[in-house]
Amino acid sequence: MTRPDPRKLAPLATAALAFAGLILGSPAATRASEEPPLLAERVAAGELPPMAERLPETPFVDPLDRPGMTPGRYGGVLRLLMGGTRDVRQMVVYGYARLVGYRPDLSLAPDILRTIEVEDDRVFTMHLRPGHRWSDGAPFTSEDFRYWWEEVANNDKLFPAGPPVVLRAHGELPKVEYPDATTVRYTWPKPNPTFLDELAKARPLYIYAPSHYLKQYHANHNDAKTLDAKVAEAGVRNWAALHIRQGHLYKNRNPDLPSLQPWVNTTHPPSDRFIFKRNPFFHRADRDGRQLPYIDKVVVTIADKGLIPAKTGAGDSDLQARYLRFDNYTFLKDAEKSKDFEVRLWSSAVGSRVTLYPNLNVADPVLRELFRDVRFRRALSLGINRDEINQAVYFGLGHAGNNTLLSSSPLFDQSYLERWANYDLEAASALLDELGLTERDSQGTRLLSDGRPLELIVESAGIATEESDVLELIRDSWGQIGIKLFTKPLQREVFVNRVFAGETQIAVSKGLDNGIATADMSPTEFVPITQDHLQWPKWGQHYETRGRSGQAPDLPAGRKLMELYTAWYDARDTAARTKVWKQILEIHADQVFTLGTVSAIPQPVVVNKRLHNLPKEGVYSWYPGSFFGTYHLDHAWLEPKDGAAQ
Amino acid sequence: MTDTTLPGQDSEGRAKSAAEPLPHYVNPAPFDPSTKEAMTPEQERYFMAPQWRLVWWKFKRHRVALFSAVLILLLYASVLVSEMLAPYNLHTRNTNFIYAPPQTVRLFHEGSFVGPFVYGYDYRLNMENLKREFTENPQKVQPLRFFCLGDDYKFWGLVEGSFHFVCPAKGGTLFLLGTDRLGRDVLSRIIYGARISLTIGLVGISLSFILGIIIGGLAGYYGGWVDNITQRGIEIVRSFPEIPLWMSLSAILPVTWSPIGVYFGLTIILALLDWPGLARAVRSKLLSLREEDFCTAAQLMGASPARIIGRHLLPSFTSHLIASITLSIPAMILGETALSFLGLGLRPPVTSWGVLLSEAQNINVVVLYPWLMLPVIPVIVVVLAFNFVGDGLRDAADPYK
Amino acid sequence: MLSYTARRILVMIPTLIAISIIIFIIIQLPPGDYLETYINELKSQGEQVDPARIEYLKEIYGLDKPIHEQYLVWVWGLLQGDLGYSFEFELPVSEVVGDRLWLSMVLSTSTIIFTWIMAFPIGIYSAVRQYSAGDYALTFLGFLGLATPNFLLALVLMYLANVYFGVSIGGLMDERFIDQPWSLAKVGSVLEHLIVPVIVIGTAGTASLIRTLRANLLDELQKQYVVTGRAKGLSPGKLLLKYPLRIALNPFVADIGNILPRIISGAVLVSVVMNLPTTGPMLLRALQSQDMYLAGSFLMFLSLLVVIGTFLSDLGLAALDPRIRLEGRAEK
Repeated sequence: MTRPDPRKLAPLATAALAFAGLILGSPAATRASEEPPLLAERVAAGELPPMAERLPETPFVDPLDRPGMTPGRYGGVLRLLMGGTRDVRQMVVYGYARLVGYRPDLSLAPDILRTIEVEDDRVFTMHLRPGHRWSDGAPFTSEDFRYWWEEVANNDKLFPAGPPVVLRAHGELPKVEYPDATTVRYTWPKPNPTFLDELAKARPLYIYAPSHYLKQYHANHNDAKTLDAKVAEAGVRNWAALHIRQGHLYKNRNPDLPSLQPWVNTTHPPSDRFIFKRNPFFHRADRDGRQLPYIDKVVVTIADKGLIPAKTGAGDSDLQARYLRFDNYTFLKDAEKSKDFEVRLWSSAVGSRVTLYPNLNVADPVLRELFRDVRFRRALSLGINRDEINQAVYFGLGHAGNNTLLSSSPLFDQSYLERWANYDLEAASALLDELGLTERDSQGTRLLSDGRPLELIVESAGIATEESDVLELIRDSWGQIGIKLFTKPLQREVFVNRVFAGETQIAVSKGLDNGIATADMSPTEFVPITQDHLQWPKWGQHYETRGRSGQAPDLPAGRKLMELYTAWYDARDTAARTKVWKQILEIHADQVFTLGTVSAIPQPVVVNKRLHNLPKEGVYSWYPGSFFGTYHLDHAWLEPKDGAAQ
Repeated sequence: MTDTTLPGQDSEGRAKSAAEPLPHYVNPAPFDPSTKEAMTPEQERYFMAPQWRLVWWKFKRHRVALFSAVLILLLYASVLVSEMLAPYNLHTRNTNFIYAPPQTVRLFHEGSFVGPFVYGYDYRLNMENLKREFTENPQKVQPLRFFCLGDDYKFWGLVEGSFHFVCPAKGGTLFLLGTDRLGRDVLSRIIYGARISLTIGLVGISLSFILGIIIGGLAGYYGGWVDNITQRGIEIVRSFPEIPLWMSLSAILPVTWSPIGVYFGLTIILALLDWPGLARAVRSKLLSLREEDFCTAAQLMGASPARIIGRHLLPSFTSHLIASITLSIPAMILGETALSFLGLGLRPPVTSWGVLLSEAQNINVVVLYPWLMLPVIPVIVVVLAFNFVGDGLRDAADPYK
Repeated sequence: MLSYTARRILVMIPTLIAISIIIFIIIQLPPGDYLETYINELKSQGEQVDPARIEYLKEIYGLDKPIHEQYLVWVWGLLQGDLGYSFEFELPVSEVVGDRLWLSMVLSTSTIIFTWIMAFPIGIYSAVRQYSAGDYALTFLGFLGLATPNFLLALVLMYLANVYFGVSIGGLMDERFIDQPWSLAKVGSVLEHLIVPVIVIGTAGTASLIRTLRANLLDELQKQYVVTGRAKGLSPGKLLLKYPLRIALNPFVADIGNILPRIISGAVLVSVVMNLPTTGPMLLRALQSQDMYLAGSFLMFLSLLVVIGTFLSDLGLAALDPRIRLEGRAEK
């Protein structure tokens, strides 16, 4: 659905001039008025206003100030490969237009917002950019925020449980005001230090919606009969389902849904090829005032996940890291010789690639006792030969050590990485002896207090060869200290449910998602606040359900972590937060809740040689980096192929 | 009956009678056909031979089938002594030889005969593309050892031992088919994998055999509504694509089962999907056989249905059954590889050909480490061999034809 | 004949009901439901999901209802021609299948033709020249396709086709043709991409065809009328083609009913490995993600084809052979 554009009557002369400038192709002189080739015709025909009028009055100006960056040229098609229709949402992650967003240095800055004023982490006053428009040309104003807050988040059909929990600070919802068309204010009675972080995440908290488009699906704005007809036509259950489907900004499925992202989906699913075209009203511009993005189209081809490395190696992608694994590097490097891409190694932000989680809530009483004894966990950790794993699986390129923050995090400390992480079978055996596990059976396996052999079953989700390889190595060294290890791959659903129920003894999975956290990011991954934490699922469940199910943390260290979590929320500045973080990390290093192996495994990133303004080295992470998002793909540009007609 | 000859086979009887034309003469003596039709010893051997021997004679004529049968027997024999046959233990890792290509066995070093040996590997990690590069070093002559002591193992998980038929030289290596990503010897893994892959077929087959005979037998003998219900049941089972059935059946295997338990569960799954084919064959065979003259004769002589089925009907098509079983074993072996590929079958800590192949199923292997696809060869060989044996058996199944 | 047809149609109804129940059970057997699978997958990629939201989505998708109720809703919909709603695609099932259906048919039909072209000459030759070197060699060749695990063969051939012939990896056409109107270039691209899957899938099916043909033909060639014909000096070609071959082909014609569902579902594994836009990978994906109405309705469609196919071939046989109509009431 397109709206009649109020500025349609742009002076035709300007448009024609812009078009002429493009044809002549004189670079510097006409730069500011040069239209991207995809839009030039529509501008010339008067269907679209010229660039100056499409940009907000004060666009986001991209300084292009990182080394090697240059103003680009318009045009070109960027080809990406994704593993399923669902991955179309990755374009929201890569596009990374957020109210406020992270910069590559992990500082927060306004993006869609012109400015934001924060008082005491309590009052957030957001100023929109005057003249900012949705991709269909309709103005983007505080009405879109009002619509979301009053008619979506607080509608008992669309959000029966009330607005998203992250909007509750200490359990309380904000007061939301809209003083004028470009101002929105969220006010909480108590501080909400994670609000901006939520807005900047890869999957962001959306507090606005394209009201002009979505009203046609909302019960408040339609009579029951017309709405029922639309619901029946779409084959969904009720108008709420229809509203959710048509208005999901993150899922990015609906090509009719107006967007603020640099590229807008134009393909109706189901398809195996989604074409994203530039948003003519995108709010960013380069330092010369030319509207971004440089690249006209992004084509997302859906392929089988397992085939993506092969297709990438055949040159079918211009920018690919998703579904490429470290062990594909050699193959890609070989292919690089004959194809026009290069393989870069970015660093990953995951704490420890393969991490073991002894389940403190395991149902087996004997093992639970054992897992809760820090000496046992330390013994397990000392019994892992991390250097061998690093050499055998990662060519020695990773960092052997605990599952903790990486060295690039400002909170990093060498001792967090190395404590109890050296390979010392004697010390491990001594610890086990100290625990009274001195009896052994005929095969040399230690016996538990009830006479069973000490056999630990490590369960994993799926069949990642990497995990089973690492476990194979650990099994050998644990065998030498009298612990038998068995592995059991399970379907993900089964795996998760068994962990939650305490049936799993030790789970294996990847470590911290965000190994590059700063003090201002919430330490959620280190404290028992969700049952998704495989080492203390029931503690997390207890917090998550506000005590209705699960168990309260009953180890001193667990209680301490919960106190520190509250302390982080109450801390008012970065210094105070740093102090809390350090205490948390210290507890983790000492208590060895999780058994890390090797961290900082490089991530291969395949980049077309003609693609510019993308750093040689970077961090590839879901959170906080939003993969390529914080590097702003909109200022990447493609050099034309040799001899290609311009 | 006397005139019947095997198709395409020269009949000695006919050759003889054609050679000597009889003079016109009437014998006044009483006629005793047995004297006139006295058989030569060869004829007697042929005509009086029991059925199984006829099948065997006929089977022998299919040379490839015979050869295949021998091959299969050898392979099954190898399963008994996998531990000794494999140069390495299943779990032996050589972290210094990760992704080492196959080593060639040579006989002559610098022109002189040394006996079977391999050149040792020099290893270099190419940091440019993170490739492990191995080069043969002609200085390192590593003669193979035979009937030797090598890696420790537990024979059938019971008796400790370290005897191998072939071992690498002391301090040397012997990777005839290369190594995988943890430096495990591919040949040894194939040899150990045979134990699981070759037997998974047998267990499953016996189960589907039993199911097929009982269900097909009931349907074929009783006919009527029993037959009708069975037919519809078979139709239902066969109307599903097998993959959804695999998926949901393997989902109900209890997760607490040990790998061996899962293995048995899988064989049962494969069997549950395999019986309809056999049941149909049994049924149609029974239906047609019960109309044969010898069956009517038995009925007239007052034989009970049980006797007719057990004594007359079943034996007359066991050879058919055996043939169709032989043809479904390879289907089971392939089924196992397909299940592993889907992530439903056996999984990495267990080693089977299917597991090895699904590990080889990625572009890295195809381009860089092709020797990891070698487990495909035993699969092909076994499947082919079973098929040829099955064909031979089927050709030979009805020797009276 | 009319009463036979009526009886036969009546039998189909309980069969279809049984099939629909089994399908529903099969889909429900794996643990969890679509939302659980979906959320776990999101979580494994680092996304957070609000638990309150999950309850709500369960309600919207109707997953909060007991299983028998979900079944009745589904079957009731099917009876009215409503195939249900695909959770994964957020579209009615009928819109999801789209192009895949007929691309599957293109693939399967070409595969079947390829198989027949391969199998007939080999089958005939090896029956006529039983146990000759040529018989062994050709049978070996025919069986080789059966013996090689398809998924591996597909990957290797696909890679080689890319390296040596520049055929793009995966799919049934070059990416630039997806969702584009048909043109000569697009047809060419499809043909180019068909070669590898047709070979891989086709060779797997050749073996059984060769075997049946050979066995049938051998049986037929020993019959009296062939011997008589030969004795009367009929030319070997005519002797082979005039009757024995025709009769040996009968079972294939009777089997066409069974081919129907295979044409639609195609070879799932190969299609997955090669990323073919056919219905197979869609079905597999739907089963894995427990997108139950998509998986269920599609399976139901396939089963319906089998049942109808069997019905037609039964009908055909009954028309040819009166004994079948009487349902074996002839005495034992």
